[in-house]
Amino acid sequence: MATITAQLTVNSDISSYGGPSISKTMTMTKAATNNGLERTSGIQRKYLTAANEVDLIQGAAGVVADMTVSATASAAKIYIKYIESDTSKYVTLSLGNASTGSSLTANDSNGAHMELGRLYGDDWMIIPWDGTSATGDICVLPNEATTAAPAIIEYIVFFD
Amino acid sequence: MATTTAAITLTSADLLTDALSLSATKTLHKAGSTVGLDQTTGMTKAYLTAVTQVDIFPTLIEGSLAFKNKTSWVYICNESEDETEYAIVKLSGNVIGKLYGGDFLWMPWSMAEDADADNKHADIQLTPSVATGMWFTWCCVNEGTEYPTSV
Repeated sequence: MATITAQLTVNSDISSYGGPSISKTMTMTKAATNNGLERTSGIQRKYLTAANEVDLIQGAAGVVADMTVSATASAAKIYIKYIESDTSKYVTLSLGNASTGSSLTANDSNGAHMELGRLYGDDWMIIPWDGTSATGDICVLPNEATTAAPAIIEYIVFFD
Repeated sequence: MATTTAAITLTSADLLTDALSLSATKTLHKAGSTVGLDQTTGMTKAYLTAVTQVDIFPTLIEGSLAFKNKTSWVYICNESEDETEYAIVKLSGNVIGKLYGGDFLWMPWSMAEDADADNKHADIQLTPSVATGMWFTWCCVNEGTEYPTSV
């Protein structure tokens, strides 16, 4: 059993009353237990050389080796960072089926695709992940990406 | 100009044969700029006592033109101390994942338009696993807030 911790700190002066501020540590455990997650994709880097929407991380029998999440008992976590110093560039993250084209698959609340949000240069995120079907795929669409100047995405998956 | 900084540290001494240590820090900016985000819902602390799916940011107009191409960041934490209690987090009906007791998420949120006519927009939805009461905290840091018109 491994011990994996994620410590989040957010400091802000938006409110004159203070904050919002966050200081939280999460120990990643298997679903409904106190046993630590013990499998990982390892830290991955994906170089995208075209501005097309593609799967970054596939659920079910996808690219995460040995991954056996289930719809009823998944406590997987994903960390993703857009490695880019230019903060005007961004990648759009979505759940579902990638279009493989230069436009996002149409958003559909019935499960085929839904845009999550944008990571601008150097932004990062951490989310739990269902990952049990194609509609749980994590898709990414860079607004700019070429062979000479690829969009570089760093990610790691921790799973049951 | 307001300044909001988010930092994460991922560590494990025994997951791999060598220690895992990964850190990242980012100042949150308005979309495509270096101007700091300046609006927030504030931190909500909620006690949910039903296994009913709820929209946790009902005061924001998801998918409205005001939010188009804007930046928002969302924090949600399941404050339960019971490791068996979880909440399913969805984005407009699409499952993101489960937050078990003590788990949190930090993610960008596009509030994107939904082509489907079921009026879910880009709601962030939370469904507790038990009706015996679960504590949650959540917050949105954003730009371009638009509130629903009163009826």
